[in-house]
Amino acid sequence: MAATSADAKKVTLTTSDNADLTVEREVAERSILIKNLLEDIGDNGDAIPIPNVNEAVMKKVLEWCEQHRKDPPASQDDDADSRKKSTDIDEWDQKFMQVDQEMLFEIILAANYLDIKALLDVGCKTVANMIKGKSPDEIRKTFNIQNDFTPEEEDQIRRENEWAEDR
Amino acid sequence: MDARPSFTALPTEILEAIFLHLDPRSLLSVAQTTRSIKKLTSDAPIVWRHFCRTYFKSWAPHHNISTKLAGPLSDVDWRALFIQRIQIEKRTVSLLDSVLQTQHARIRSINEIADFGYDAKETLLRQCACPDDAEDVLARRYYANAVLERIQREMAINVWKDLYNGKPVPIERALGAYDLFARTGADVDFDVITEDLDDLAKAVLTECPDFSQLSTRMKASALASFLRDQGFKGVAETSYRALRNSFIGVVLRSPTHESLPLISVAIYCALATRLGLDARPCGFLFHVYCLIYAPKSHTLDGVYKPTSSDVLDSMYLDPFRSSKEVGQDDLQRVLREMGVPVSEHESFLSDTNTREMVLRTARNIMNSVQTIRQTEAGVYGIHSTWLDAYPDMDNSFYATIWAMLMLGPREEEEHGGLHNVSTRRRQYLPYLLEHFQTHYPWDVTLLEQHVIPLFYNQPEGGRLLSFVHSMHNIDSVRKPVNRRGPGPENVHFKVGELFKHRRYLYEGVITGWDTSCDAGEEWIEHMGVDRLANGREQSFYHVLVCDKSVRYVAEENILRAGGEPSEAMLRLAGRHFKRWDADKNRFVSNVRDEYPDD
Repeated sequence: MAATSADAKKVTLTTSDNADLTVEREVAERSILIKNLLEDIGDNGDAIPIPNVNEAVMKKVLEWCEQHRKDPPASQDDDADSRKKSTDIDEWDQKFMQVDQEMLFEIILAANYLDIKALLDVGCKTVANMIKGKSPDEIRKTFNIQNDFTPEEEDQIRRENEWAEDR
Repeated sequence: MDARPSFTALPTEILEAIFLHLDPRSLLSVAQTTRSIKKLTSDAPIVWRHFCRTYFKSWAPHHNISTKLAGPLSDVDWRALFIQRIQIEKRTVSLLDSVLQTQHARIRSINEIADFGYDAKETLLRQCACPDDAEDVLARRYYANAVLERIQREMAINVWKDLYNGKPVPIERALGAYDLFARTGADVDFDVITEDLDDLAKAVLTECPDFSQLSTRMKASALASFLRDQGFKGVAETSYRALRNSFIGVVLRSPTHESLPLISVAIYCALATRLGLDARPCGFLFHVYCLIYAPKSHTLDGVYKPTSSDVLDSMYLDPFRSSKEVGQDDLQRVLREMGVPVSEHESFLSDTNTREMVLRTARNIMNSVQTIRQTEAGVYGIHSTWLDAYPDMDNSFYATIWAMLMLGPREEEEHGGLHNVSTRRRQYLPYLLEHFQTHYPWDVTLLEQHVIPLFYNQPEGGRLLSFVHSMHNIDSVRKPVNRRGPGPENVHFKVGELFKHRRYLYEGVITGWDTSCDAGEEWIEHMGVDRLANGREQSFYHVLVCDKSVRYVAEENILRAGGEPSEAMLRLAGRHFKRWDADKNRFVSNVRDEYPDD
């Protein structure tokens, strides 16, 4: 097959709110879900329905895919947690992730659904960085979490966690 | 999707993916926010396993950690395991602090850490790497390393014990025990040696993909050529006696891979085992060869040759020198030329066992240590040459004594030579005791556990037992306090002062003092104390000398030395001192419990 013409080929994605987004196939194929779909059904030019992602989120995701279109494919190594996770995020991604919390979660959910491992990873790191070094109270404020523990339960948790205190 | 997502509503798998990026403390914080998250974090084995795997590299063997990591996630309470390791880490640090604070119960504390085994290794290595300006830098590094060495010695001794008891011990493990005995560091471990060999075996198969199809003879030569190509080419005559050539772990990691023939053969055999080739060491006269056997009912060239005989076809190799086959007649000729009676040829030409290889290595190491001591002994024989020897000379020598004791012939194995054998074993005891008392008094528990049973029902057994008890007793009481009185003072030097011996010129540091000679009458007479200008009534000093010895010196022989301590001194001083104080020009005492005014 002619590689160059295939690369430049476009695909159309239909979002949950019925918007049609047309992108280069190479960009869309950052999503393993879309890549597999295209391979399975063959590219007949029909729009591909993405029923779990709305237009606003999909645009954001595609923006990321565009930026990272030349990245090497994610390694399929299931031993991914053998290394200490680093929460370093490159500069472009950091800026990209400066969105409101709901959008951040939606990007993460979309990345998970669309199977874009690297984007999911950046999203999770971003959330992790919002947690790190904070007290439970600060975390509750950050994510608007209801404290539903009784004072007795809180006491018990404190005792359970004594092992993590400094000497 | 109408409702906009919130943190707590994220699917479990995504929350877990987020938690994998947290440190344990942040995870606990987020767990305290609300019930659903609390439940999720306590029940998230994937996160706790991740912590176990990434925070701790070294595990005591009883955990079987690689099996656990490979097994189903839910088979292990990873959270409990992680908490246990954190608690061990804390306990180790606090015990080490108490070791550094007082001499009281030092042996007990060291052994309590040692009981954690490799679970304490990383903590101890971190303590060894404490910053140069730590308040007690010398002491901290000294004792952290000492405990780690103590842990590794026990692991080594247990390997030799298994070997003695006939358990299947791979040759690289039996010989790697010497590495564990003599070296410390992140890369000193049985597993590291195993992995290095596994990697080499993999490389053989990459280079020679059809290895398993080859005949025995071709396999043998392919493996020998491979090793030579990798740089395993024995060692030149000039550095033959270097201590490092006897340590399989050092040889595998060193850039030149220089080794003695025995180690070359051991590496060859260890690889052969991994590649399905039957290779065994052959303890020739002054050299170790390799014997390679064809599978039963096959010739070395792979021809099927049915036979009922158990004798296998075999060939000799000398991987230390070349990849070429060695003829049996050549070996026999050498034996004849050396005057070995034909009746004894068989014992030099047949394969030998791992235990023999370990004992032979002990003799090789002893020879190396002796060579270093002889060729480098100074005019007065007091030098810090130990600093240049790698691995550490005293640790290496100590290893050989233990190997001889654990693996040497015992009475039940000798025929009618019972008296002889216990004499032979007995002869190592004084060396062991001397070495252990001077350098590793905290090994008293190893002595109890592994040496005393060897002399059960013999006079030494009882004596050792009471010796061990008295050591524990001394450790459990506080040191008597030596105060400096208000009256006229005849002790002019203080603990921590660096000096030069007036007659022998060696560098030493004062670790204690008596107002007059406190040694026994026999020693006083033997050393001619009364012939000194000021006799026995002058003050006497306990000193640590740069060659690792401890001595007792009259004040008239102490010359205050200016300048900085030598590298050797700095390494040793940690046993008694916190750090070097350049302004005051002396070591800062860590034995204030004994000499509060110094």
